[in-house]
Amino acid sequence: MPDLRTQEYMVNMGPHHPSTHGVCRLILTMDGEKVVDIEPVIGYLHRSLEKVCENRTYAQCIPIMDRFEYVTSMSTNQVFSLAAERLAEIEVPERAEYLRVIMLELNRIASHLLFYGTTAMDCGALTPFLYGLRERELIIDLFEMTCGQRLTYNYIWVGGVSKDIPPEFEPKCREAIKIIGEKLDDYQGLLNENPIWLARMKDVGILDPDLAIAWGVSGPVLRASGVKYDLRKDDPYSIYDKFDFDIPTLEAGDNFDRYLLRIEEIKQSIRIIEQALDGLPEGPIRGKVKANFKPPEGEVYCRIENSRGEMGVYIRSDGSKKPLRVKMRGGSFNQLQVLPEIVRGKGYYIADLVAIFATLDIILPEVDR
Amino acid sequence: MTREELKSYVEGHFDGKLKSLDTGRYDPIFEIQPSDLITVAKALRDDESLKMDFLCNLGAVDTCEKLEVVYSVASTTKNLRLDFKFSLPYDNPEVDSIKEVWPGIDWYEREIWELYGINVRNHGNLKQFLLPDDWDQGNPMRKDWDAPDFIRMPEV
Repeated sequence: MPDLRTQEYMVNMGPHHPSTHGVCRLILTMDGEKVVDIEPVIGYLHRSLEKVCENRTYAQCIPIMDRFEYVTSMSTNQVFSLAAERLAEIEVPERAEYLRVIMLELNRIASHLLFYGTTAMDCGALTPFLYGLRERELIIDLFEMTCGQRLTYNYIWVGGVSKDIPPEFEPKCREAIKIIGEKLDDYQGLLNENPIWLARMKDVGILDPDLAIAWGVSGPVLRASGVKYDLRKDDPYSIYDKFDFDIPTLEAGDNFDRYLLRIEEIKQSIRIIEQALDGLPEGPIRGKVKANFKPPEGEVYCRIENSRGEMGVYIRSDGSKKPLRVKMRGGSFNQLQVLPEIVRGKGYYIADLVAIFATLDIILPEVDR
Repeated sequence: MTREELKSYVEGHFDGKLKSLDTGRYDPIFEIQPSDLITVAKALRDDESLKMDFLCNLGAVDTCEKLEVVYSVASTTKNLRLDFKFSLPYDNPEVDSIKEVWPGIDWYEREIWELYGINVRNHGNLKQFLLPDDWDQGNPMRKDWDAPDFIRMPEV
């Protein structure tokens, strides 16, 4: 029998692969079934949002920010509003701050439920997807009754929020978080002892904490590697310092810990929402802000804790009613950047890669902007 | 360390290479010389009381007169944050790559190269990634660039 010649070969995964959560192309260098190296190719969803914002007033930028990261667009509204408020020194009424926190945390839960569903589906389990989206629907209904939108909310405005919550919001919200809190055990029961799930999750995709910090990885991915860093506690914004909640961390930094950590975060978000609903004060929902306010010359980089890590926006004002520059920073950008470092040389299969990609919780509109 | 203390600490150390500016509206912002970039970045990361180990953001700004590059860094252990920036001329702008200090800056540097035409020395992987592969219309984030079919929003 003649000697068989072996060589590495290239495979294109995507751009339209269902497990790339958007449109992302991964150029894989394969050795047989094993991934040797990987090069992400992005830009398929680039909509030049930053350039678009330069031609709009600050208030008109908020709906553009919705499209930056549409899974948690409450956060994108919040980070832009916060930056504009710090630039123009605008005060936000207390009721508006409470409403913001409630909406941000509801959005975080909705995002983590989507993560739970899609990650399980990427690993071949379809049922969790149905469960996750069923409970997410309760939250989306709450958003719909408040601002009329189910996806891009345009709810948090500079100086406050756009609309007050309707009277039926509070009982429905309490009911929704109660249901979600009870279902969390069911969710884990579906997956935590499933051998197929564990084979893709345990000890796969380990991210070393030093590597994670050096590559700018943040959010649940960083905390699953054992780094206790959460901007809600470490660089508090809005009124997060008023609430009592914990920052869960796990040590292993593998896929399984990233999944478990998000389940824990849902519990903490429920705690925050309960406290915020209890303490919700009466009062105005928007400060006195002119429609075309002109912030003084200056610049600010402002960041918040999104469900995908640090979300930031840099705004430069030249004293006119339009920003001179808006730079958006999303957690997914760095999480996708570190993906080759996690995979390279570890001998993972493509199916492992799909699971790693899913637990990093990358969504592509945030990467491409 | 409060923001004021951070400001005076940074001004007092690092051989006066970081000069405080008053344009920052929340966190302190400093100006440096482009040639000091690598030294300053390393010093900020390795300083015992700052430990700026986390790169938040890198953005370029076109002010119509010059280009500016703004680095936003933070510390994950000391809860500190600051920005530093420098100006570049409009013609042949160049910066040094600081991938050796914060590897996560890789794609941010590609982005300013692609969208602003700022050359990054010693980067090693300056490839187009946000714009289409067949893009030949220059650097779209510069202020003198308008899309061919661009219609300006009516004034409100």
